[in-house]
Amino acid sequence: MNTPLKIVVTGPVGAGKSTLIRTLAKGGYVDTDARATEAIGKATTTVAMDHAVMDVGGTTLHVFGTPGQERFDYMWEILAEGALGTVLLARADRPGDLPKARQIFEFILSQSEVPYVIGVTHLDAEEAWAPEEIALFLRADPTLAVGFDPRDPKDAIRPFVRLLDALDGKR
Amino acid sequence: MTKQDQITQLLEALKRSLPEVREAMVASPDGLPIATLGSQDTAARIAAMAATALGLGRRIAQTTQLGNMKEVVVRGDQGYFVIYQAGDKGVLGVTVPADANLGLLHLEAREVARALADIL
Repeated sequence: MNTPLKIVVTGPVGAGKSTLIRTLAKGGYVDTDARATEAIGKATTTVAMDHAVMDVGGTTLHVFGTPGQERFDYMWEILAEGALGTVLLARADRPGDLPKARQIFEFILSQSEVPYVIGVTHLDAEEAWAPEEIALFLRADPTLAVGFDPRDPKDAIRPFVRLLDALDGKR
Repeated sequence: MTKQDQITQLLEALKRSLPEVREAMVASPDGLPIATLGSQDTAARIAAMAATALGLGRRIAQTTQLGNMKEVVVRGDQGYFVIYQAGDKGVLGVTVPADANLGLLHLEAREVARALADIL
């Protein structure tokens, strides 16, 4: 079956949303980076969306990435419209960001109860939490937590593979 | 005079030359308010949205080969919100009613956007 699926990638600032989408983009991708004027630990930040088409095991995914800051919460709503699944990203090494991750997660699921996976990045950091711990903090199903490196194409595909499994269960 | 004062003066001058201007604001390209003539309550929200519209507009301009992004016009049945690129460090947003002269607004606001680009 090869109908295109709309998937949303969301999560707090610096979780790796844009990196993940760039890594897996088949052909071109759209980003909307603007220079960051606040201290967020990186030079640029997404102000509207990222977009790319991906191929995951023969299934075409149309992936939309959201901005991470709460001031862009209207984009979460706009991009979540019609999405069939969500990849929520959270950093393993910044427990202080987890309440924000939970807020975004709850907001997206309140829009529509779609299948999700929790993608956990920055696992190589010294103080990293285990992906299952992150999921529990988010009050999410720990079996849906996937630790991965969004910079590595082989690894970056894993949350989407897991999400497609979850979607297959629903179809 | 601080940058902030200079920017506020530019916005006030815009409002003097075009009294129908309802609100005028300047935001950073990543959506944080810098200065506003208008409601403080909605300033943060409008600043974020102006940056989103301009950021997306820039990508649309590139993808459809329109060159460098200049402005985005949102037209409602009760007015316009026009967002101008002010160099690479600022965004100017102006609200006018539906019967405003859009040509005149462009003339004045583009000048303000250029001046803002020099200040920022």
